[in-house]
Amino acid sequence: MDFLHSAAMGFELAFQPMNFLFCFIGVLLGTLVGVLPGLGPVAAMSLLLPVTFNIPPIAAIIVLSGIYYGSMYGGSTTSILVNIPGEAASVITCLDGYQMARQGRAGPALGIAAFGSFIAGTLSILGLMFLGPFLAAGALKFGPPEYFSVMILGMTVLTFLSSGPMWKALLMAAFGLFLSTIGMDNVSGTARLSMNIEELIDGIGLVPVVMGLFGISEVMLNVESSLKRSIVETKITHLLPNLKEWGASLGPILRGTGIGFFLGILPGAGAIISSFASYAVEKKLSRHPEKFGTGAIEGVAGPESANNAASGGAFIPLLSLGIPSNAVTALLLGALIIHGIQPGPLLISKHPEIFWGTVASMYLGNILLLVLNLPLIGIWVKVLKVPYPVLFPLILLFCLIGAYSLNSSIIDITIMNLFGLLGYFFRKLRYEAAPLVLALVLGPMMENSLRQSLLLSAGSPLIFLNRPISAVILIVAVLLLAFPLMPWFRGKRPAFGDSP
Amino acid sequence: MSQDRVSSGIWLLVSGTLALASLQYNLGTLSSPGSGFLPFLSALAMGAFSLAGFIHASVRKNGGGEGVPILKGVRWEKAFIVLASLFLYGWLLGVLGFVLCTFLFLAFLLRAVAPQKWAWVVGGSFLITAASYLVFEVLLKAQMPKGVWGF
Repeated sequence: MDFLHSAAMGFELAFQPMNFLFCFIGVLLGTLVGVLPGLGPVAAMSLLLPVTFNIPPIAAIIVLSGIYYGSMYGGSTTSILVNIPGEAASVITCLDGYQMARQGRAGPALGIAAFGSFIAGTLSILGLMFLGPFLAAGALKFGPPEYFSVMILGMTVLTFLSSGPMWKALLMAAFGLFLSTIGMDNVSGTARLSMNIEELIDGIGLVPVVMGLFGISEVMLNVESSLKRSIVETKITHLLPNLKEWGASLGPILRGTGIGFFLGILPGAGAIISSFASYAVEKKLSRHPEKFGTGAIEGVAGPESANNAASGGAFIPLLSLGIPSNAVTALLLGALIIHGIQPGPLLISKHPEIFWGTVASMYLGNILLLVLNLPLIGIWVKVLKVPYPVLFPLILLFCLIGAYSLNSSIIDITIMNLFGLLGYFFRKLRYEAAPLVLALVLGPMMENSLRQSLLLSAGSPLIFLNRPISAVILIVAVLLLAFPLMPWFRGKRPAFGDSP
Repeated sequence: MSQDRVSSGIWLLVSGTLALASLQYNLGTLSSPGSGFLPFLSALAMGAFSLAGFIHASVRKNGGGEGVPILKGVRWEKAFIVLASLFLYGWLLGVLGFVLCTFLFLAFLLRAVAPQKWAWVVGGSFLITAASYLVFEVLLKAQMPKGVWGF
């Protein structure tokens, strides 16, 4: 009864005209962001974060969430039509989606991507509704050692899944942790490593760092190489897949939903790994694995469902534990804190309107996306034809305005530019930025948990092993770190590209 | 020398510098960690990982990563023109104000990076500047800086 009452309250909130409008704006912008290569959901949410300061918290979270799951919808369009993924989670869709388009089957490819996304998105929200409150109740038993261990696990998972050598990912995480300590120490009141710059006393802002690492560096890389796009010039018809196509896709959609949802919950995993995992599973299960990569609809249906389900799953650790699982949810965490809402196990009981309102808006958002996206595909194709030399100054301008308007500070623009330069070299040298961002966000929470745990145990680090939940979590983290050292595992670690 | 060896060597220097910088704050004890505890610990971790990377790159057959310079074969000067314009924007924003600075920034990028026709450079920059002023300054009240001309 309580559940139904809460859900009804959520829908009441989501249907309020203002919230509905923000949901619409969020999913529309999200789709646009997903469609445009070179502008990912992290950069777009960073840009819009300052804008949400002037709107109520629930509307802010609704619009930002809408951008996130909306971008998962939109990402497939460029993968299918241009062979350039709109965002990293749609990389794998290029393999079969683009081949389908070349064979004149762009319509069913786009259609099944949209329907699969809708089904997966809706099912993952159901999972969020049931699992979120349950996990939050369990998390009330967590103390500082357990929180510290969960955060260590989150960072370990992300470094484990990063492409390239593990030392690079761990180095990035350690660097992010160091950066997170810049600014006022909450315990002693000391301003640390702020170089006498007043603005740094509050610490390095997440938004300029993310915009620099992901937005500016992306533009820098794009302008130095000619980004030629060859859009498939075919009439897009038959967006509704036929019975045969549905038959081939239903299994992949449901399996992709399960894979995406559970991988999305894991801190550090998320949309990218789930889309790759779904593709691998479908290829393994298929009677015709040789058709994968040549235009198999299963290769579009599974991954596209998985990345949408993962975006729903990622909300679970955020809303029930207060722990972000990727850079996007880290931004949402930042937005909640900026609006005076403390994320954590008490969020659902103290601010039920935030949890249930967001969940209900996600239902609406998924329906809006389905209704909007199929008829709007023609417009998205036109958007794709905007030449990059015209587009990139706009992206840069949005980054500049977004960075400045956070604190009306030029320093934030400088920080963004510096991280743009760093991000450019990171990408060139194959250092992934995602572990850095996650560590930057988790850093203050980790430091508090670590110091509290050590105070509790009178300085004994064994406290992390003496408490069963913490010990189990740490053992999993250590195993993940040890895996790449095993001879049989070397070279088998999956690589999922540089993205949150 | 390979990319990984060079980059891990640089990281080693960076981590050493950061560890030294952390030492000016109280490290505290294990039972009562001070404000320098985590910065020092994370700088040490950076040092350890970069050392591991250096060794890893040194023992590998190809020395870790390609030996090709990372800026070879690309029009890197365009990337740095973009970056320089961003720094310049930040520097001039307070002096010239949002409107003029934005117009010049857009016009410069549209002309210098992938040269567009002058009509589009001037007209496009004007239109985008006007639209962004309307959206951010007027509608969203973002309080962008005004220059000596008052806009």
